[in-house]
Amino acid sequence: MSEPVIIAERVNKCYGPVRAVKDLSFTVPKSVCFGMLGPNGAGKSTMMRMIYGASERDCLPTGKLTVFGFDPQVNPLAIKFLSGVVPQENNLDEELNVEQNLYIFCRFYNIPSKQALGRIDELLHFMELSDKHKARIKELSGGMKRRLIIARALLNNPRLLILDEPTTGLDPQVRHLIWDKLRELKRKGMTILLTTHYMEEAFQICDRIIIMDKGEKHLEGNPHELIREHIEPFVLEVNTPEIFSRISQSLPPELRIDQGGTVVRIFGKDQEILHNVSSRLNPGEYFLRQSNLEDLFLKITGSTLNAAQ
Amino acid sequence: MQPNKAAILYPPFTKRISSVWYRHYRVYTKNLISNGLPPFLEPLIFLAGIGLGMSRYISEMGGIPYVTFLATGLPITAAMFTSAFECSYGTFIRLEFDRVYDGMISAPLGVGDIMTGEIIWAGTKGLFFSFAVILVEAAFGLIPLQGLVAPVIGFLTGLMFASISLLITSFVTNINHFNFYFTGFLSPMFFFSGVIFPLENLPPVLRIAAEFFPLTHAVRPVRALILGQFQPVILFDLLMMAIFTVVTAWPGIKRLRKRIIK
Repeated sequence: MSEPVIIAERVNKCYGPVRAVKDLSFTVPKSVCFGMLGPNGAGKSTMMRMIYGASERDCLPTGKLTVFGFDPQVNPLAIKFLSGVVPQENNLDEELNVEQNLYIFCRFYNIPSKQALGRIDELLHFMELSDKHKARIKELSGGMKRRLIIARALLNNPRLLILDEPTTGLDPQVRHLIWDKLRELKRKGMTILLTTHYMEEAFQICDRIIIMDKGEKHLEGNPHELIREHIEPFVLEVNTPEIFSRISQSLPPELRIDQGGTVVRIFGKDQEILHNVSSRLNPGEYFLRQSNLEDLFLKITGSTLNAAQ
Repeated sequence: MQPNKAAILYPPFTKRISSVWYRHYRVYTKNLISNGLPPFLEPLIFLAGIGLGMSRYISEMGGIPYVTFLATGLPITAAMFTSAFECSYGTFIRLEFDRVYDGMISAPLGVGDIMTGEIIWAGTKGLFFSFAVILVEAAFGLIPLQGLVAPVIGFLTGLMFASISLLITSFVTNINHFNFYFTGFLSPMFFFSGVIFPLENLPPVLRIAAEFFPLTHAVRPVRALILGQFQPVILFDLLMMAIFTVVTAWPGIKRLRKRIIK
């Protein structure tokens, strides 16, 4: 068993009075896709930035953070040489075209010129941007920019790929394309660390996730196992509290009721029981389905919005 | 865990700063005509104005023809303004609007590498701008050909004003505040550093004050170099330029690090 790629032990980060990351510990083994989930303001991006040295963690209380055995505060260049970073905000050089953007980064990695041009061809092909060599950044759609930044992160053949919300705001086709590419990279042995608030994204590509809220870790594990262990397998969604009030008196006691928002969710282990409940409602007033990661996420982080969202 | 051998191969310091320099070079040369032509046009316009207009009234200044006096100061103000622009407005836009540094910081570059590359780039622009002025002046026979070595001082001037400007930028949170820097600091220097008239006959207070202006220490060496008149004070000037560069670059980079590494 090889050493984990990232080891975080009791990592803390404050911005003034705000504790963005609190006593966060986790390890990322080699060649897995590790996801960090949480609402906005959960501390995911701050944690990501600390991993590649773009933020500094608090010295006190003493924690530990190593990536490939290097401390990002001591040797960020070694970590960044072995990693590719896809930041949350697109930061392509608008003054340069697609190819030049990648070429400049090859210079940052000190990749020899000839090799760089080959690598650029290869990666534009991989991210399905082959016809965009000379395109200006302004001409690219949001999805193309995102793919270009992923290509940029892959230039130096990284062993660790760090992606901060890689598919936020993208259409479903591009999201699926990016997921396919990430799966392919993982198969080749790359370690992937990503943040997301799309439950489906975590479910589709992550081997292991942590769910964070307000800077703290609430749950950790395989997404499928977490659902099995922490939430009832079925849920009956009732459209409004008024409809729910017609049936609320006579519900079987083993059901769990979540009245967080306008939709009332009734969770249960037995599909048959939920089906019997639903038979007292009119069609169109309810939806019976399997529970998913989103239900788990809302159960853990609370279904109402916090101030940072 | 033993640090991995491959990681030791991240690019050395010189490669890192030259890659940052290369980025700026590529962006600048992308618009070759609009960026590269004005440095040659500006001295033409200026010298035409002075030569055709003002020199009819003022024929001599500091013991040399007035046109020559001005011609030996202009290369340095060109270097000053271009490097000051580059590391004030330019740096601020890269920092706050274009987020260029956020991209760079995800590559194996540190803030020190990025800012050192930036200063050397501004020095290069100082070299190019002063060269353009000197070339035009030499072509018109206003200065002797030996003046063509003077852009070296333009380079040093660029480094110095880049460093000063980075320190200013590290304090600026609103891009309009640079107006104070340009009208409150750079413009007065243009008048009181010996570019358009000699310092010798200024009131004593201003004469002493002028020795604290960075520009004064750039003007004397370039004039000496163009006219081939070496004086010992020039060594003092070069030392002062080095001091101004280091004492502003160091805290400037340190403060900018805090704005980039949050």
